[in-house]
Amino acid sequence: MRTGFKLHRAHYGWIEVFITIILVLFALTVIVPMCLPLLFVFKTQLEYSYDPWSLPKHITVKNFLEAWDAIKIGEGLANTLLVSLGVVVLAVPCAALAGYVFARYHSKVTEVLFYAILVCYFIPIQMVLIPLYKFNIKLGLSNTLLGLILPMAAFNIPFWVLIYRSFFHTLPKDLGDAACIDGAGHATTFFKIMLPLASPATTLALLLIFIAAWSDYFLSLIMLNDQKLFTMQLRVSQFLNAYGVDRMPRYAAAAIISMSPTVILYIIGHKWVIKGTLAGALKE
Amino acid sequence: MVQSIQIFDPIKTKKTAKRNRAIFVSLCIFPSLLFLVMFMYYPIVETFRLSFMKSSGLGQDRFIGLDNYRKLFVSEEFRAGLVHVLTWAFWSIVIQLPLAFFIAFSLTFYVNRVSKPMRAIYYMANIMPSAITAMLGKFVFSPNNGILNNLGNQFGWDWLSNMDFLGSERLAFWSVFAVATWAYTGFPIIYLMARIEQMPKEFKEAAELDGVTGWKYAWYILLPNLVYPLRILAVLCTIGSLKLFDLPYMMTTGGPGHATVTLGISLYRQGFINWQYGRASAIGVIIFLLSLIFTIIQFSGKKEAA
Repeated sequence: MRTGFKLHRAHYGWIEVFITIILVLFALTVIVPMCLPLLFVFKTQLEYSYDPWSLPKHITVKNFLEAWDAIKIGEGLANTLLVSLGVVVLAVPCAALAGYVFARYHSKVTEVLFYAILVCYFIPIQMVLIPLYKFNIKLGLSNTLLGLILPMAAFNIPFWVLIYRSFFHTLPKDLGDAACIDGAGHATTFFKIMLPLASPATTLALLLIFIAAWSDYFLSLIMLNDQKLFTMQLRVSQFLNAYGVDRMPRYAAAAIISMSPTVILYIIGHKWVIKGTLAGALKE
Repeated sequence: MVQSIQIFDPIKTKKTAKRNRAIFVSLCIFPSLLFLVMFMYYPIVETFRLSFMKSSGLGQDRFIGLDNYRKLFVSEEFRAGLVHVLTWAFWSIVIQLPLAFFIAFSLTFYVNRVSKPMRAIYYMANIMPSAITAMLGKFVFSPNNGILNNLGNQFGWDWLSNMDFLGSERLAFWSVFAVATWAYTGFPIIYLMARIEQMPKEFKEAAELDGVTGWKYAWYILLPNLVYPLRILAVLCTIGSLKLFDLPYMMTTGGPGHATVTLGISLYRQGFINWQYGRASAIGVIIFLLSLIFTIIQFSGKKEAA
C-alpha cells in the first residue's frame, strides 16, 4: 500500500496539486454561502449598513431573538418535529414488514403486490396533489398535522420497502429456517431474529425518512393553512416573503437558526446519509 | 396438549401452517398496501378523472372532455412552464453532469488528504431543505442588499451592483438555475464516485502500466464504462426538472412575468389560487405522462456495463 501511495504521488505531481486546488475552490462555493451569514449575524443593522464586510466589533444576540420571534420559530420546530416523528413512526414499520415478506415469502401474489408498491415510487407527487387535498377535506383532516403526516408516510414507503427487501435478501436464508424448526412462529422469527439483524437498514430508514419529512415544503404548503400549524420550512418561506433581506443581520440569524438542525444532523450522520442515499441508486 | 396434536396429525399441521403463513403474509403487507391505495392509487385515478372535468370545489363537477388540456396549451403561463422545464432539463444535463463527472473523477483518481473529506462537503448542499436553499439563494442574489450586489458596491463595480439577478426577466431563470446547480450537483457526484469505486481495480492498474493516465484514463476508460449510470442521471435530471417547484416558487414565485414559471408552479396556481381543480389535474397528468415517457426511454436502452 505504502509504496503504491508513493509511486502515486511521484506520478501525478503538479497536476494533482492543480486539480486539488480546483476541487477546494468548488468545495468553497458549497460551504461559503452557508457560513457567510455568520459574518453578519452578530452586527446591528446600523453597523451592517455602515460596513457590511468588516468583522463584528461586539457580539449581539439581538438578531437571533428578533428572527426567532418574527416567525415564531419555536412553534415551527415543534410542528416539524412532530410531523417528522409521525412519518418515521408510520413509515418505517410498514416498510420493514412488507420488505421482509417480499424477501422471504415468495409467491405469485406477493410478487405482484411488490411491483404494485414499487411503481408508486415513480409517481410524481404533483400527480396526486389535488385529489389528496380534496380527500383530506372529506376525511376532516384538512389543516391538521395528521393530514400531512399520513400522505407523507405513504410517499416514503415504496422506496424503503425496496431497500428492506434487498437487505433481507442478503441475510442467510438458514437463519429463519433454523428458527422455524425450533418452533418459533413467523412473527417471533421476524421480531426476535430478523428485525435486529436488519438494524443497519433500520438506521438508514429512520435517518433518511426523518430528513425527508423535515425538509418537505410542497406538500406542507398544500395541506396546511393555519399559521399555527406551519412547519419550519413554511415559516422560512413566509419570512422570505414578508421581510426579505432588507435587514440582513436578522435575515442571517433566521438562516442560521433554520439551517442548524440539518447541518448538525449531517455533521454527525453524513456517512449514513450518503450510504442510505446510494443504497437505492446502486440497485438497478 | 396442543403440541401433541400438532405432532400426531400431519395433515392438520400442514393446513394450519399454511394458514398461519398466509395470515402472517397478509398482515405484513396490509399496512403498506392500505397506505398506498389511499394516498396513491385512489388519487391517481381521481386525477385522471378530474382532468376531464370542470371542477372548482364548488357545485357539481361537469364532464368537459379534453377541454382542460386544450385550454392549457393556449395558456401562456402553462406554455412558459413547459418550455422552462425542458430548457431546465437540457441545461442541467449539459452543465451539472459534466461538472459532476469532473469532480467525481478527480476525487477518486487523486486521493490525498485534502480530497478525502470532500465527498461529504460536496453532498452537504443536497440535503438542505429547499426552503433553506432558497433562503441562501436570496441571500446571495437579492437586489440591493444581496451578497453579490453588496460586493459590487464594496469594490465600486457598478456592473455587478446594478445587476438585478432575481428581478430581470433575462437573469431570473439563470439565477435560480445557479442555485439549483449549487444544491443538486452533490447527488450525481456521490453517485458517480460510488460507480467508479465499484469498478475493478485492475482497470486503473492496467491503464497505469500502459501509461494511460489522468484525462486519457477518464475519457477512454472511465467514461465508456459509465454510460449507463450517466443515462440514469440524465433521466433523473429530466424528471426532477418536470417536478420543479420549491426553488423557483420561493425565490421568485415564478416571476418576473412568466420568467421562472415551471409546470409545478402552474399547477399550484391553477389548483390553489384559481381553484381550477380540473385544469390543475390536467397539468398533473401531463407531468406524469412526460416522466413516464422519459423513464421508458431509460429502461428501453440496453443495460450495457451496468
